Amino acid sequence: MSRQIINGNEALALGALRAGVKVVTGYPGTPSTRCLASLLALDPPQRHIEWSTNEKVALEIAAGAAWAGQRALCTMKMSGLNVAYDSLISIAYSGVVGGLVIYVADDPGVNAGMAEQDSRGFAIMSDLPMLEPASPVEAYRLAQEAFELSEQVGTPVFIRLVTAVANSKTVVDVEEHGLPPQREAQLIRDINRFTKAGSAICMQQHRDLIARLEKAEQWIAARGLNELSLSTVAGGLGVVAAGAVIAYLDEGFELAARYGFDPQAVSLLKVRAVHPFPAAEARALLEHCQTVLVLEELEPHIEKSLAVEAYRMNWQGRIIGKLDGTFSRVGAYDVHQVIEGLSRALGLSIPAEALQGYAAEQYAAARPITVCAGCPHRGTFMAINEALRKLRYRKDEVMVTGDIGCTILGMNPPFNTIWNEVSMGASIGLAQGYVHAGVKTPVIATMGDSTFFHAGIPGLVNAIQHQVPLTLIIMDNGWTAMTGMQVNPGTRAAFQGEGGQQVDIARIVPALGVEHFYQMDPSDLRSSVEILKEAIQQPGVKVVLARMECAIQFHRRGENAALAVVDMDKCVLCKLCITQTGCPALSIEEGELKVDPALCTGCSLCMAVCNLDAIHMERVK
Amino acid sequence: MNYDIYLVGVGGQGVLTIAELITEAAYLQGLPVNYYPTEGMAQRGGFVKAQVRLGRGFVGPNIPEKGADLAISMELSESLKAVRFIKPGGDFVLWGHIWLPTAAMLGKAPYPTLDTVRGQIEQAGARLHYLDPHNLPLYQGELVPDNLYVLGAALGCTSLGKVLSAETVKQVVRQRWQRVAERNLFALQAGMEVLVEAER
Repeated sequence: MSRQIINGNEALALGALRAGVKVVTGYPGTPSTRCLASLLALDPPQRHIEWSTNEKVALEIAAGAAWAGQRALCTMKMSGLNVAYDSLISIAYSGVVGGLVIYVADDPGVNAGMAEQDSRGFAIMSDLPMLEPASPVEAYRLAQEAFELSEQVGTPVFIRLVTAVANSKTVVDVEEHGLPPQREAQLIRDINRFTKAGSAICMQQHRDLIARLEKAEQWIAARGLNELSLSTVAGGLGVVAAGAVIAYLDEGFELAARYGFDPQAVSLLKVRAVHPFPAAEARALLEHCQTVLVLEELEPHIEKSLAVEAYRMNWQGRIIGKLDGTFSRVGAYDVHQVIEGLSRALGLSIPAEALQGYAAEQYAAARPITVCAGCPHRGTFMAINEALRKLRYRKDEVMVTGDIGCTILGMNPPFNTIWNEVSMGASIGLAQGYVHAGVKTPVIATMGDSTFFHAGIPGLVNAIQHQVPLTLIIMDNGWTAMTGMQVNPGTRAAFQGEGGQQVDIARIVPALGVEHFYQMDPSDLRSSVEILKEAIQQPGVKVVLARMECAIQFHRRGENAALAVVDMDKCVLCKLCITQTGCPALSIEEGELKVDPALCTGCSLCMAVCNLDAIHMERVK
Repeated sequence: MNYDIYLVGVGGQGVLTIAELITEAAYLQGLPVNYYPTEGMAQRGGFVKAQVRLGRGFVGPNIPEKGADLAISMELSESLKAVRFIKPGGDFVLWGHIWLPTAAMLGKAPYPTLDTVRGQIEQAGARLHYLDPHNLPLYQGELVPDNLYVLGAALGCTSLGKVLSAETVKQVVRQRWQRVAERNLFALQAGMEVLVEAER
């Protein structure tokens, strides 16, 4: 055993190793990425670990392994679960042979920028059990429980972490994980389980699915994953806390105790298996208490189930939660909600200022994020803007649809190029809609390389099939960059890991039948503008591949070619380089234009926009 | 003893490194610790915060408003985002570095003055420990890493010095940077001394 300081993602990964996981698949997505990334870095023998093309593919691979009797883990963020759900619901109906655990990360409070969805809804919709650890220590333990549950009942099992648990680090006691158990892969032919051929099969699978969830409820109760503790005197307050919120109870009780709250008089139900609803424990709590406070982030799933039990029992007490308007469905919880709930339930008089800090952030400078110094996308956004200007279009009359990843930063100043953002690969579909809606000006779609492979190809195929006049710009930096540099199919073979092959976008697009296919080097502003101008003016589907590796990556490898140098005799501080590029390496300090040598990668875009030749590139090394 | 630390700054300033050093040192001292970093999307130049909670084994990662015993800010404007979380009477270590957003650099957007920031921190009832970036010392002719200097100052002049032993922090620094350990220990030590003097 060893003591390690690890976060929830890493704890979950190590728990899965300890449980003998054989196959791990996933797609990067904040805040879930570190789970699979930490396993890849660990490189444990006799396990297969991969970043897959998208979450649906990842889940199918994991399910195949589980149907062959192995233990498999699939990791994703909530947006990825939406992608995987088509396969997931079918796999849920079939059940599994080996353990299949699906890790989904939710982001209450939105740290990373995406829909603030509550993925517990998917567990309810698919009748699958879902465990939600409240700390890295619990993540390590519950990852192992999840595999046991999955195999005991024959069902896929969700583990859900919220950002605060996924990313926070604490000390965890980690056991040796050793090698995975030697299991022969099985081939089970059973069309009643593994196909959906006909209503008889599907309806029987539906019955089996419901039966498995009931069995899971019994297993969870027997394992004591949900903890019920009743106060010695009946009739008082009951508190139901789910998942991450459990970690705030002690602190909240301690604070409320200063205002006359007695922690001993409270009955508690800590829910770590958030689906199926722990009905037996909930009934016991209702029977014991007059008032029940429900603490759960985002949607009132547990509260609604509790209300149903209360109705069935003809319980006459009061439930405090979201349905009565006490708490919001928006944002993350902390100790604040615990105290507010106790105060509401018990009529404690806790002054508002006890928990309300002095607000000063309104005086802080806005800090919109932009692409990194040396980012290849900077040149592409500048070239799009310049090409449109040269074609005599105003910026507000040309639709440029956006996609997920670093490419979305084109929405911000100084570029203000991108108009919208939906989901992986959506830019190309949206663009077609704008064309069909009757937009007369050029319509441009932008997406990154990983996005293209993930879900962009079907949209492009559709545009080609229906010959929709638009320009797709694929911004290929060779990595899944925004989530912290994961490989994708387009990453160079040298970085793919053993036996991996690069899938070349420059060969895919022409093979699909795109006649007007161009490649551009976004660090060469002049030629990029000319290429884009030409592409935009051509009829039909045009695809421009803007290709240059992510600057962070070659910077890390020490492969910088050059550094920008300012000639202050020529510079008149017109600031054009800063206003046009927005490059973080450029600044004006004490009346001089400065280049931060630690940031500059020598991309030369500042030199390209300078009218006075005041910037030149000097070779490094 | 429970002790909560709220750290803010801009990506690339080493805010998370300070938090990691504190976390490691707490671990070595056998103090329960939870460390929750929040990074923006960009690699550099975005708002970064970290929350370190010492003393509780099982604790929610977010520090409540008015809950932090210590705030450490590496950037003038970003300090304002920590004010809400400082306890009245808590310590606020401010490294007065100014990292201008592009719009502010071009004079198109406002940026707070030191007086504004100072006023807000005082309004919240915190004890301000201001560190002037111009006083960053040199080691063998080069400026020392500012984040280690700031951590040193926090150890030297705030209650953090009662929670963590400077020796443990030095041990962590030595383990983490073997090649530049001497320079980094010098930065830490300089921070510990400079503010102690200024406070007297």
